[in-house]
Amino acid sequence: MSRPVHITGSALNCACGDSPAKAAASMWAGTTRLGQKHLGDRAFPYYSLPLSETAWLPRAEQAIRSLTAQLGPIAPTTPLFIASSSFQMGWFEEQGQPFDLPPASASFSRQIAAWLGLDGPRYTFSNACISGFSALDAARSLIAAGSIDEAIVVGVELANASTLAGFAAMELLSRSACRPFDATRDGLVLGEAVAAVRLSSQPAGWRISGLRTGIDAYSTTGPDPQGGPIAELLRDCLDEAGLATEQIELIKLQAAGSPGTDLAEANALRQVFGQAMPPLLSLKPALGHTLGASGIAELAALLACLDSEHIPATGGFSRVDPEIALCPLVERSNAHISRALLNLVGFGGGLAALIMERRR
Amino acid sequence: MSFLNAIFSQHLTADALPGAVRSTLGKPLRRAAGLTQLAVIGALTCLPEAQRQLPTALLWQSNSGPRQETLTLLDEVCCGPAEPMPYDFLATQPAIAAAQLKPFLPGLHSAMHLPQDEVGQAYWSLLITLAGHWLAQGRYAQVLCAQLDHRVEGSAAHWLALAAQPLENPLARLQLSKTGAQPSLADCPDFPERLGRWLNEPPTDSLYLHAANAPGLTVEFARL
Repeated sequence: MSRPVHITGSALNCACGDSPAKAAASMWAGTTRLGQKHLGDRAFPYYSLPLSETAWLPRAEQAIRSLTAQLGPIAPTTPLFIASSSFQMGWFEEQGQPFDLPPASASFSRQIAAWLGLDGPRYTFSNACISGFSALDAARSLIAAGSIDEAIVVGVELANASTLAGFAAMELLSRSACRPFDATRDGLVLGEAVAAVRLSSQPAGWRISGLRTGIDAYSTTGPDPQGGPIAELLRDCLDEAGLATEQIELIKLQAAGSPGTDLAEANALRQVFGQAMPPLLSLKPALGHTLGASGIAELAALLACLDSEHIPATGGFSRVDPEIALCPLVERSNAHISRALLNLVGFGGGLAALIMERRR
Repeated sequence: MSFLNAIFSQHLTADALPGAVRSTLGKPLRRAAGLTQLAVIGALTCLPEAQRQLPTALLWQSNSGPRQETLTLLDEVCCGPAEPMPYDFLATQPAIAAAQLKPFLPGLHSAMHLPQDEVGQAYWSLLITLAGHWLAQGRYAQVLCAQLDHRVEGSAAHWLALAAQPLENPLARLQLSKTGAQPSLADCPDFPERLGRWLNEPPTDSLYLHAANAPGLTVEFARL
């Protein structure tokens, strides 16, 4: 048994809006709220959620509860798939020493489920930046096979000093801005987001026609600069969807402004798409790199852009890097997109790609 | 239908883990967190050398997660000079285990890490159901399912090696079932050990794995 799996709803709270439609409108208008976080003597740009609560746990609750109204009524027993890379690290930091970690490492997922009003099966995925697509992969596989009929897939990444400090210690962060594929790009800009999509066997506007995850073991901190493993994964995803490269009308890039990863992604795209390169878009200059939430957050944001036929320009890009030799969208577009590919390249070697197709 | 080709369970004291790695690899595994070391030992124990090039997925769950590594990071960030040692941050990222395993398991195509949210909880029914679907589709030739826990007091690892094709002496065949029957086992962390005991204790022909809150994810194991 293999049946189509559709995206029947989405929800988003990110730096550029507290719903997919608001985020899409903000990206279209180019109004990005870039803040700042301090770490010792250094300051880093950061995309924060616009929430009224300031203490970590009430703030997390406010963020998660903001998804429920957007998703509409959900049967309490609906299977829940949660993706995160840092869970409640900010809560541990706020509590201070002695750090009281619960025995089960993903205990925060119980709290997320309670805030969402769900008490059915609950599964958590933590695969760094590809966590969201890992969770989608599992949920979609079960629906396609008839094991379940519906699922809620949630991505959660909330501010904490440990993640920021870890990336800063590895010199992976920009001190100024996110510049995807740009010649002057100098690192990531982190952000926080919560997002959800609802998957179902019932027909809806968009269908997930391909989804593959992979591993690039070149290094634990960055992909093979030649892009070979990323290219292999993109081909696998196209094969699964039964699509030729010419049929992809838009690519949502990983492109976070990282010198090495952007180059690897560009090299992979050239190998797969050659001269027939579809329009390229990075959402990270609007949302920031939201790590474990990025897969779901960027999917929800992109769906809203495509549904409104308001495809934003890629912020932060002004000068072509001769090594990359690819230019993301710099002009806004009202194109009607029927097939889009979303690419993720994860910290720690994770790769993921998803193709979605509009229902005819 | 797919086949259970190997079961492996291991309990180690904290100081025994490096020795177990050395005896598996013939050398130490440098700059690898405890969970990564357990992953390398288990994967190589479950898969004979001839199988290691085949398209493989790794689905692993953990209750402990990188607990000690997380405490170290929190100490460095909250009580130290603000920025941690880069390796100490990397060690808190369980996803890295797959990248460190791949050189020893070249066929490793994909890995998913599922941290658990309750003590005593397990996702075996989910992992085996996903494996069953993916093997039936031909997405992978084999899927390794594991429960890995690494704490100060010791480590525990439980593994099942599932494949579309049986090895010379497969332990059981398995299929996904919409409804369960008896005898059955609950979804618990040491399920592979219990399954191994059932395989050594006739007389029933089949055993069902039930997840109490997910009846759609029932798995039937049958003796060969």
